[in-house]
Amino acid sequence: MNSRKDQAMTGQIAKALTEASGLLRRPQRMIPLIRKLVFDKARVTFEHRHLYSYTTTKLASGEALTSLLHWILDAQRPDGGIAAYYSLLTGYSESYPEVTGYIVPTLYDFARSSADDRAAASAERATRWLLSLQMPTGAFPAGLHGSGAQPSVFNTGQILQGLVRAHAETNRPETLRASVSAGDWLVKVQQADGSWSGPGAYQDAAHTYYSMVAWALAELSERATCSSHEQNDYAGYGPAAERNLDWVLSHFRPNGWIDGINLRCHPNYLHFIAYVLQGVLECAILRQRSDAIETVAKSAWVLLRKFETNKYLPGAYEADFKDGHRFTCLTGNAQMSCVWQRLFEVTGDLRYLNAALKMNEMLKPLIPASGPRGIVGGVSGSYPIWGRYQPLRYISWGCKFFADALLLEQRLTRSFDASTVEAWPCAS
Amino acid sequence: MRIVILSSSVYSESACAMAVRMAELRHVPVGALALSTLDRGTLQRKLEQWGVREVARYARTKLIPHRSDEKPQLRNPYLEPVLKHQGGVFRSLREVAAVHGFAIAVCNDQNAPDSIARLKAWSPDLVVFTGGNILRKQLLEVPRLGVLNAHLGLLPEIRGMSSPEWSLLQHIPVGVTIHFMDTGIDTGPILQRYEFPHAPQCESLSDLRNRLIAFGIEKAAEVVAGLDRGTIVATPQADLDKDHQFFVMHDWLRARAAERLTQSRLAAVPGTVNG
Repeated sequence: MNSRKDQAMTGQIAKALTEASGLLRRPQRMIPLIRKLVFDKARVTFEHRHLYSYTTTKLASGEALTSLLHWILDAQRPDGGIAAYYSLLTGYSESYPEVTGYIVPTLYDFARSSADDRAAASAERATRWLLSLQMPTGAFPAGLHGSGAQPSVFNTGQILQGLVRAHAETNRPETLRASVSAGDWLVKVQQADGSWSGPGAYQDAAHTYYSMVAWALAELSERATCSSHEQNDYAGYGPAAERNLDWVLSHFRPNGWIDGINLRCHPNYLHFIAYVLQGVLECAILRQRSDAIETVAKSAWVLLRKFETNKYLPGAYEADFKDGHRFTCLTGNAQMSCVWQRLFEVTGDLRYLNAALKMNEMLKPLIPASGPRGIVGGVSGSYPIWGRYQPLRYISWGCKFFADALLLEQRLTRSFDASTVEAWPCAS
Repeated sequence: MRIVILSSSVYSESACAMAVRMAELRHVPVGALALSTLDRGTLQRKLEQWGVREVARYARTKLIPHRSDEKPQLRNPYLEPVLKHQGGVFRSLREVAAVHGFAIAVCNDQNAPDSIARLKAWSPDLVVFTGGNILRKQLLEVPRLGVLNAHLGLLPEIRGMSSPEWSLLQHIPVGVTIHFMDTGIDTGPILQRYEFPHAPQCESLSDLRNRLIAFGIEKAAEVVAGLDRGTIVATPQADLDKDHQFFVMHDWLRARAAERLTQSRLAAVPGTVNG
């Protein structure tokens, strides 16, 4: 146990030294760093949000969406992968297979909503790069590109999302073959109880946020069966997704808290709580599991009440949503906006849409409107920028989830018809 | 019956109208406990809610005496009949108190120990809430009968904020509920529910809200009289296990609620096609 802690500590020190040395190599990064630190300090000190702060649209969602997508396009490396982050100390990171995978659906959604060819072209480049990374087993590697070749369950699941969508868009057989190969590997290494643990799992442990992998398998089940006459070949993905769904559902407490996020040396960041909810919700929608939707709705409602009452969601929680940490995890906020909007679609309860619209209003002003490439249009890991989650970084998955939230907002508000809204089914 | 009024400010038009209406029904309050107008949080909330121009206009109408040839300026014009006084209108609780003879106390927090001590000194049978803080148990336990509130929505269906707007979007009749407050959000026992019949005549959401406030004050005064006569009893709310709480509505949804109001107005006009 102690050696694990020592290892983690050593890793953190090494990381801090690497980041600091980045500033020594490029001292010109000092200016945007200081500017951002001063800006966030001033904002945190003087800005006191009230009940009506997030109800008015001050920045058009379309403009915010475009700037997020520009950030993502700027972050695409020459190899086709998307960088994990832009650090105020070290600049862009290497390409990140996991995020590159699940950014693909966002790029296609944006291409559709805006008729922007660059987004679709970017998605195709990203897909080609991902195909080049697949291991003979069907798995995809962990970590940043070039950091090691260990197969990773979570990354394979997240990349599978992108591959399934790429196949839906392009109908290229190699993409379906890669998806099926990844799906087969995920089913093969799944534990009997429905979880994933062991060498392919982060820190070798089972995690409830791997519900995102279940979602990917449920997507694959839908896609593969409608793309082939040999449906029996693909019969295993749906049940495997539901086995994991059942395992994750067994970790929900009656008060909405979710056990089993299970990250050693990390608090329960909102990002991971929201992952659990997103994965379960999307998997439940695809598999038509109303029990799972109700369970997610209960947890999502707890967070909605906290957001509506306190005007922000803390970046991390202790068990039972207690002792919220005093920083904001912007990615987790954007994910919760997605969860609430999807719950509105499923339940018709307008309070979810209302909270999501306000959440989007809160996030929009935090996207830098100016600054160098890597900063402008980006979503920082934490607000303030020195918060515990991905400090001093603009992260690609933050942009992805906020873009998803704004794309959902566009779709739902365009199709909204007040006359068809029924008297709501109450959250209870 | 000894009545105390709780107010968000000494300049609150609703509090002034409630005090005047009570006095007209021979229930002159023994006192009013108002939040400080210069409270930083209140000012900031009003600035966000109304905007700088409207706050400045409001301050001018309250602080600078209007000329005799000038039309009285009220934020809620439907309160004018109640607030009319000597060719003008009551502009603050202090003016109402001077005419009807009751005490005014100003505080920064209605739940603070000194505020509760002040309230206890008045030994009220009933507290009428017209605005201020979220009330804590210690304060709610002071009056003999309870703390009465006029909620701008039908309970238990619509609890919480932006109630008229949510009523429109949820296809629930617009109305007012007079109820006793408890530590929950609009979960206390109900005294009377009133549907508001004039919603289709309202020009806008703010017009609807203003009319509902005036309607609620009138109905609250009637309920106070009923409580005094012993003809009205409170009934605990059903559905307390369900979460009927609504929150401040985003402007985009408010615009949809306004569209619904327009549709109901068009539908109410004979010969108009509801588009």
